[in-house]
Amino acid sequence: MASKSGRAVMEPETEKSSRSPELLLSLYSMLVKCRMCDEKARILFRQGKYKGNFYSGVGQEATEVGTAYSLRKDDWIAPSHRDWTSNIIKGAPLKFCFAQLFAKVTSPDRGRSSPAHMGYPPLHVITPASSIAAQLNIGTGVALGIKKLHQDTVVVAYCGDGATSFGGFHEALNFAGVHKLPILYVVQNNLWAESVPLRLQTALKDLSERAKAYGFPGISLDGNDVLSVYDAAQTAIARARAGEGPTLLECKTYRWYGHSEIDPAKYRMKEEVEAWKKRDPIVLFEKQLIDKKLLTEAKKTEVASSITKEINEAVEFAEQSPYPEASELMDHIWG
Amino acid sequence: MARTINMLQAINEALSQEMERDDRVFILGEDIGLSGGVFKVTDGLLDKFGEDRVLDTPLAEGIIIAASIGSAMMGLRPVPEIQFADFITPAVDQIVQQASKLRYRSAGGYSCPITIRICCGAGGGSGLYHSQENASWFVHEPGLKVVMPSTAYDAKGMLLAAIRDPDPVLFFEHKSLYRQAKGEVPEGDYTVPLGPAAIRREGRDLTILTYGMMTQLSLDAAEEMSKRGVDIEVVEIRTLAPIDKTTILNSVRKTSKVLIVHEDKRTMGFGAELAAIISEDAFEDLDGPIMRVTGPDVPPIPFSPNLDKAWQVNSEKILAGIEKLAAY
Repeated sequence: MASKSGRAVMEPETEKSSRSPELLLSLYSMLVKCRMCDEKARILFRQGKYKGNFYSGVGQEATEVGTAYSLRKDDWIAPSHRDWTSNIIKGAPLKFCFAQLFAKVTSPDRGRSSPAHMGYPPLHVITPASSIAAQLNIGTGVALGIKKLHQDTVVVAYCGDGATSFGGFHEALNFAGVHKLPILYVVQNNLWAESVPLRLQTALKDLSERAKAYGFPGISLDGNDVLSVYDAAQTAIARARAGEGPTLLECKTYRWYGHSEIDPAKYRMKEEVEAWKKRDPIVLFEKQLIDKKLLTEAKKTEVASSITKEINEAVEFAEQSPYPEASELMDHIWG
Repeated sequence: MARTINMLQAINEALSQEMERDDRVFILGEDIGLSGGVFKVTDGLLDKFGEDRVLDTPLAEGIIIAASIGSAMMGLRPVPEIQFADFITPAVDQIVQQASKLRYRSAGGYSCPITIRICCGAGGGSGLYHSQENASWFVHEPGLKVVMPSTAYDAKGMLLAAIRDPDPVLFFEHKSLYRQAKGEVPEGDYTVPLGPAAIRREGRDLTILTYGMMTQLSLDAAEEMSKRGVDIEVVEIRTLAPIDKTTILNSVRKTSKVLIVHEDKRTMGFGAELAAIISEDAFEDLDGPIMRVTGPDVPPIPFSPNLDKAWQVNSEKILAGIEKLAAY
């Protein structure tokens, strides 16, 4: 059975963020937007509208939104393959996000990287590679650059539970600890690294305990509670911006679907999946907002229909965009 | 003003002058600061530039390169050091999957102007894991530039060119040349462009294509052969990638005979690629087989003096190769 919300290894020192109604509703809209875009990406793949693969993050939206929502335009995100929606949260136009899936010339990388491997240089989202933990390593380098240039920007770098076993994870976090770099490492612990369960990945109960080895705070929390994630991220980001160094956040969450769209995920127990679906981060947050009388059914419909319209326009843009010309093959190898 | 210094001094001077000229440049690696490097290449730089720009790093090659890539994306010009080419393997993921592909996979949205200094080559008794010359591994990866100077003049000029280059450059330094390669080096700023090969000796009868430590040995062999009436051209391919096909092919067309000499192992070595290029583009001009004198296909360079000596490419092996080819 899946674990319940995580025990905080170290409590975040939050003054509760000023949670204005506007902020709460914005967080809600972004959660829904990520969910709807991700589900649309899955449908489009199944319809054969684009090739390759897609790595859905449905179920993990509170982690994605909670950690990235308050970033500034000039802050950096180092996403993994499951963080396509990082681009959306950071503010990349949806039309480019869907053009990325379709590998069209209008995508940020002109059709070079695979569908889920989207980066968006204008807003400092790093184009990801498939190598495990690579984004943590490169993100750490960016954080070193930030420090050297005396900027007050930060990096948020993502990985799954599986990547924490990789040597590069250790190298990156150790280096960031030594140099007190402005970076937040977010481990989205969804209990499964493709088909390998957490018990075969690590003997640890809380992955945030790893932070002790690197000399900076580690926090484990309920990754399906967007406000907990948001508050912890705010604390970590403020800490990083103030030059006090990195934080490791373990967000305990769950991916609803397979590792990718071609993985039926038969290795998981139905009961586990159903239990986690009952803890849908969006439904959980909706309840809070409805209790606070900030959200109504009418408002929910309004949010959803506005996003639907935006998605439809984006998909149309992507579909109508041309593929890159074959003559582009040799471009961008050298500077 | 030029004065005679060795390659080690030339590299140290290039780093120092470029760090003075451009505050985006910083160096990082194992033992490069407090100790000044295991060969003293970075001696004095910590005192001059401080810990902010001379980083003694944790003992982990992967993050040395990743930290460089990330900070290069921020517009800095990092010059990481890999202490021995033998230890580059933990960083290959970063070099091959990240550095070489970053510009391409982001369609130019990101770039990676780093210069990785790598100490390489057989040093006579350095043993299995302090001796490898593996530059050719990286020639296979488009997006990387791979260079290996053999003179003090080129070492300074090419290092300055590498640091100013917009792409990732692997700058191989042969440890036996650090003190052995001496020559006139200008005190001031100059660059030797990455790319062009150098014709080190003109000749009519036979072309030797070589690089690194083998350049001087090949020149010595050419001198010896001139006494025996064979006039040899020696072309130093100081940039292995991207390769200067024009200079190579022009020389082949002139002499019609090619001997490739490299220290690295034979099979799938850089010489194999040279031979393929020449067969494709200058087949009609050849007057004999393309031949190779290379390190043997032995997994590591063994430690015992006799075995070490047997491994090394030396003047005798080069002379024997020349005689065999000249007979055609």
